[in-house]
Amino acid sequence: MSELEFDELSVEVKGRTLLDRVTLRVARGDFVALIGPNGAGKTTLLKAALALRAPSSGRVRLANTPVTSLDARRRAELIAWLPQHIRAEEPLTSLESVAAARYRFRESHACSQRAAERALARVGASQYASRPITELSGGERQRVAFACLLAQEAEILLFDEPANHLDPGQQLDVYRLLGELWREGRSVLCINHDVNLLHQVGDAARVRVVGLRAGRVMFDAPFDAPALPEHMGQLFGVELDSVQGSEQRFIVPRARRTS
Amino acid sequence: MSARALLILVGCAVLLLAAVLVGPRLDGAQGQFIIWQLRVPRVLVGMLVGATLALVGAVFQALFQNPLATSDTVGTTAGATVGALFALALDSSRTVQGLPLVTVCAFAGALSGSLLVASFASSRSAHSSDVLLAGIAVTLATSALASGIQYISDSRALFAATQWSLGQLPQVGYRGVLLLAPLCAVSCTLLVLLTRSLQAFALGEELAHSQGVNVPRLRLFALGLGSLGVATCVAWCGPIAFVGLIVPHLVRRILGSSYRVLLPMSLVVGAAVLVTCDAFARLIVPGRELPVGIVTAALGAPTLVFLVARGRR
Repeated sequence: MSELEFDELSVEVKGRTLLDRVTLRVARGDFVALIGPNGAGKTTLLKAALALRAPSSGRVRLANTPVTSLDARRRAELIAWLPQHIRAEEPLTSLESVAAARYRFRESHACSQRAAERALARVGASQYASRPITELSGGERQRVAFACLLAQEAEILLFDEPANHLDPGQQLDVYRLLGELWREGRSVLCINHDVNLLHQVGDAARVRVVGLRAGRVMFDAPFDAPALPEHMGQLFGVELDSVQGSEQRFIVPRARRTS
Repeated sequence: MSARALLILVGCAVLLLAAVLVGPRLDGAQGQFIIWQLRVPRVLVGMLVGATLALVGAVFQALFQNPLATSDTVGTTAGATVGALFALALDSSRTVQGLPLVTVCAFAGALSGSLLVASFASSRSAHSSDVLLAGIAVTLATSALASGIQYISDSRALFAATQWSLGQLPQVGYRGVLLLAPLCAVSCTLLVLLTRSLQAFALGEELAHSQGVNVPRLRLFALGLGSLGVATCVAWCGPIAFVGLIVPHLVRRILGSSYRVLLPMSLVVGAAVLVTCDAFARLIVPGRELPVGIVTAALGAPTLVFLVARGRR
């Protein structure tokens, strides 16, 4: 079974340490939410998992193979990525963009297109399938990017702040869809700023929250752990309130820590 | 296929046919000779060159994610110019294996210019923007070299160099067509086969990588094949401005950005545009031929401005 393992991974760029001996395991069926202050190395961690950043020491293994030695198509079969931004300068239609994400499949264009239509339907984006992505709103473009990820049909999914810049309704939609994909058996590693959204994925008790700061893993705790607010407070240097809602616990920042 | 695309195909066919037929009245055996031995091979050369330049332009624009990228940007044309000037400074009448020395040297120069840039591009850590910068650096360095060669050339070599740098379709007959065709065909066919990876590239280099595209290999293939095609064209015709830049934008504006349409249609439209410009160059001043490079530059510049202005509305 394929899983993603970071083993004592360090990444240095121009003498700056972005990741410092990170050890983390995303087993099959895991949901790991990655949190941490800006510049903590969260995005670098995802890029290292995609062989977009080379380790300076340690390694990243995907299905027991170092990710840097995997063939590109094989890697794309194992792991897919929703980046923070997608480049939308070329006025390709949504459908063509999603069909292009099927690159790893050696199939006809008609086949790619049918798969792309299915993926767009699943994220509720069928109505703008034939519109150029350059003309879409932020929320619409994020749905198309999501459809690209679905169309790739990988086992492990990486998300980089998937709800960034979206309105509350869209944010809920994104996390609900994330939960669906997870329950279908995929593994998820998701960078996230608002842990309260994790309630949307369902079965939140099985979600793990990993805190990263200055390139190091500070904690790795279940989402429903009583100590989570304290861990997060230390991680971000803020005082947090834990508020019991009608169905769920909300963690809300109150003030900067002074000491 | 869409009706628009079909209309464009028909339009291109008409233009190509017209380019053979227009001109002063031709009668009898002499007329037959002019059409079959002069105009038809010249139109064929124009088709090959125009198609290759336009396709390579479209591919490089995708590869560098830069709407202004052409074969000129990656050192190919600059290298060819140095090679040609070198040959002209030596002796313009010399031949190598039956080929003009100018052509051989321009081809060698074009390939070494691109090779310099490609060797940079093949390093794993290089980004597309770095490759573009390397291309500009090579272009600047070679133009310094070219000025140096011109400085020590005599006036006849200088005149020949100016003529060469204007860019024109040579009167090379069917032999020239046979020399051009295989290299252009190989380069264009293999480039069109890269459609799928270039399409994935459109949403960003890193995303394409994550979707399974081998980015360093794609970059090397596209650069190598593109340079081979353009080097062949430039060696025979000199630098022909704007075709590689304008045609892809024109096609994109009319038919959209899908590379499945853009690449093959750039081939067809590029061929028609260059041949039409050459027919203009032949007819515009009675009794005299202009280099086609002047016509493409004169028409290309305002077209570019128009396309940009329309794009911003």
